[in-house]
Amino acid sequence: MAAYLVIFVAGFAGSFHCIGMCGGFACALGRDPQGRGATVLRHLLYNTGRLTTYCFLGGLAGAFGQVICTPQGATVPLLSGPLDTGQRILAILAGLLMIAMALQFFGLLPHLHRVTAGFGASTLAASLRSLLTAPGHAAPLAFGVFNGFLPCPLVYAFAAQAASTAGALHGFLTMAAFGLGTFPALLLMGGVGRALAPAWRQRGVWLAGSCILLLGLVTVGRGILPFAVHFAHGWTEPA
Amino acid sequence: MTAQDHALCSHCLLPIGRRAMRLTVNGEACAFCCYGCCIAYQVKHGKTEEWEAAWLLIRLGVGGFLSMNIMLFSLLLYSDAFSGADAEMLPWIHLLLWLFATPAVIILGGPFLREAWLHGMEGRLTSSALIVLGVGAAYFYSAFATIEGSPQVYFDTATMVLMLFTAGYYLDAAGRARAARDLQPLLAAESEWATVVIGDGEYRRPVREVDAGVLVRVRPGERIPVDGVIMEGESHTDEALLTGESRQIAKGVGSHVIAGSINLDGPLLIQSRGVANATRWAQICRSVRDALIRRSPSQRLADNIVGVFVPIILVLGIGASVYWAQHLSFDRALLIGLAVLVVACPCAVGLAAPMATSLGIGRLARHGCLVRDPAALEALARIRLIAFDKTGTLTSGQARVVAIDSDGTSADAVLAHAAGLERHSEHGLARAIAAAAAARGLEPVAIHDVRVVPGRGIRGKSDGRIVAAGSAALMRELGWSLTPNLAEHGRQREASSHSVIYVGWGEQAYAALSLDDTPLPEARSTVEALRRRGVRVTLLTGDLPAAAVRIAAAVGIETGDIEAGLTPEAKRAALGRRRHDHGMAAMVGDGLNDAPVLAGADVGIAVGSATDLAREAAAVVLPPEGLRTLPWVIDVARAVRATILTNLAWAFGYNLIAIGLAMVGVLQPVLAAAVMAGSSIVVVLNSLRLERLPEPVPSAAAESAPASRSTATSNQKAA
Repeated sequence: MAAYLVIFVAGFAGSFHCIGMCGGFACALGRDPQGRGATVLRHLLYNTGRLTTYCFLGGLAGAFGQVICTPQGATVPLLSGPLDTGQRILAILAGLLMIAMALQFFGLLPHLHRVTAGFGASTLAASLRSLLTAPGHAAPLAFGVFNGFLPCPLVYAFAAQAASTAGALHGFLTMAAFGLGTFPALLLMGGVGRALAPAWRQRGVWLAGSCILLLGLVTVGRGILPFAVHFAHGWTEPA
Repeated sequence: MTAQDHALCSHCLLPIGRRAMRLTVNGEACAFCCYGCCIAYQVKHGKTEEWEAAWLLIRLGVGGFLSMNIMLFSLLLYSDAFSGADAEMLPWIHLLLWLFATPAVIILGGPFLREAWLHGMEGRLTSSALIVLGVGAAYFYSAFATIEGSPQVYFDTATMVLMLFTAGYYLDAAGRARAARDLQPLLAAESEWATVVIGDGEYRRPVREVDAGVLVRVRPGERIPVDGVIMEGESHTDEALLTGESRQIAKGVGSHVIAGSINLDGPLLIQSRGVANATRWAQICRSVRDALIRRSPSQRLADNIVGVFVPIILVLGIGASVYWAQHLSFDRALLIGLAVLVVACPCAVGLAAPMATSLGIGRLARHGCLVRDPAALEALARIRLIAFDKTGTLTSGQARVVAIDSDGTSADAVLAHAAGLERHSEHGLARAIAAAAAARGLEPVAIHDVRVVPGRGIRGKSDGRIVAAGSAALMRELGWSLTPNLAEHGRQREASSHSVIYVGWGEQAYAALSLDDTPLPEARSTVEALRRRGVRVTLLTGDLPAAAVRIAAAVGIETGDIEAGLTPEAKRAALGRRRHDHGMAAMVGDGLNDAPVLAGADVGIAVGSATDLAREAAAVVLPPEGLRTLPWVIDVARAVRATILTNLAWAFGYNLIAIGLAMVGVLQPVLAAAVMAGSSIVVVLNSLRLERLPEPVPSAAAESAPASRSTATSNQKAA
């Protein structure tokens, strides 16, 4: 449970960083002329779309991890037994990836930025703009769904974490926790429509980076340290 | 708009079938080769206020929302998250999945159904039919399973296959559009508009409706829509698409501008000098368009294979289902059949050849090299021998004064007199003499009463004396003697096939001017570059052997590879013999007298002026003075062929392996869809490597003599 809490906090803090891209969208989604209730609904739908994509990616990554880690035909242990070799390797890879992402958050790996943010993001974002002003409730939902696919280091980091859990349910929960963590800031952005002070955004980046770094270290540790099995359970198994 | 207008996909510019997906986007009628291009075009070109693009994205988004939730629930089901006490919830979860799946299948599957229907009406079974069939089977089986309460449903497979194919098609189309970048300016021209100035008003008119004499305004950065003369303004233009050389040419009032060149920095007012449809630019556009619509041999091969492929796959898929139904459970058998249908989509095979070909044609066209037929591009890659015509191909085709043998006076005096006479003549040799005098800064002697003696030369009077330039016969006619020295020089020059003009005044011939065609500066390096590419180079000419040997020596062709004194028909026969000995042969000519041999070669290449474009004989047309690009053109052709071969090998290999895996039941349908979508992206990416080919080498002459080149081009235009 503690792990989900850290993920939630990372999502929350990270969303201040994400205000650059997603926050801009949330602002552009704007207010509904039909009043406050309609505006709130509009933004909830947008965030629901986003959350759906995150959850889907999480479930998929988790199932992927499960497929890699489970020998054909075996019943799926879902972290109840000791970690097998496949899962150890996966955990180490995912952990290293998360650490790299965290370092990028701290500005220590500038080259990684091109990989994480450059790929097709601008084209996709540009083509999505037509949805921002489209009427109806389906448009913000659709926008949220696409928005969730926009390349973002945070999403990569937690998708990696989801894969290392080697279970669809755990992967789903990981990304759900992350997605819910991003709710407050983005709902706030949509409602208030005003950017936060840069200083706060910087603090958010540091907090998010620290959370990812912590999770990354734990994940790597789960793969390397034999005694970490029980430790890992405490982190990843729902209470 | 007619069907012909829509022979190319509006998005990726690849050729499309008779019944294409049609749409009106931004008031423009568009046709698309596939659903992916249709989505990509709308997303890219739909404006915010336009409902269409947004509506498409909403449908995809909502479809995605539904299918992702279905997938998530199904993943949880598979991982036994609902095991034990939750087992009685199963029917309700199935019902929920059905509820989600129905709108998702309708929203995401609609376009595939439409495409399958369109192609079916055309009598073609295509990949969309396979998708519709597979998805339909999975959906309806699952619906019945839900009603019956059986433990397995495949709503996730049905919706995810649709979602993966939609995403795959979209990515595929995005890559293809990037590949079409070089073609875009060429093909957009057809729908280009011109700003016509009438009185005080400015009006937008389609370019094809602009007639001669009309004033056209062109802003900086715009493409000049018509051939014409500048009436107002100064600017630089870039004629890269017409001459193959990207550089700036200064233009002012009175300068000629050519349609298709780009106005770089100043606003211009241009008076149109011809109907816009007849410009070289318009011809290039049509030529490229025609080439794209034609199908190359490997493309036809791929088309034929795809034609028989889909029915075979249908049989295999159904056969696999029937076979496995007897050995495994019915729904496992159904999934296997579904995987076969989904994985066998032949999109990658269909894309392999046209993708690489259109990239190559676009790349060449951007440098002024036109390929009129994709088959020629494929043949060019396999060329073992290139035969050159001499005059106008390896040489400039314009005579130059190469020697002045004078006896009793200075060369300058001879040239000044000769130039004074030849000012009154339009003969090709006369221009060469005037140019030689100008090059030495000589003032032509003033001459009156000039008379041209047909076939012999020209005569006139200066200061009461007769001045004459012409053949030995003209000198004899005038009763002038040639000194033995002069006569001997003349004979020697003529023996090596120079044209000799005797010049004299008063009562005596004083000098012999020798004129000859000179090899183009780039001819030697071109011949060397071709040899380095393993191509044998020969010279086939109608000229005298002595001239042929001299030019061949100058450009580096060996004596054994020369045949001279050939009639056009004999040239064709000579090429045929050499083709027999060496393999596929190309002929390079200037297109004026070489039509038979150009048409008879495996690839006819015209190095041409504007009129050559109208000639049907050559399959490849290089820009004026484009000889130096020839090795590069061959490089591009070879790269295109290699790309087509690797594309086809990949596409077939992939399909064979994937179908095999699917038939033995190893490949899950969803995984099959993901791999399928990836496979045509591989073809696109492989083809995009063609963009990394180096550019052709710039000509040295282009930098040293820009002025003469631009006037040469406008002269040809005027002719």
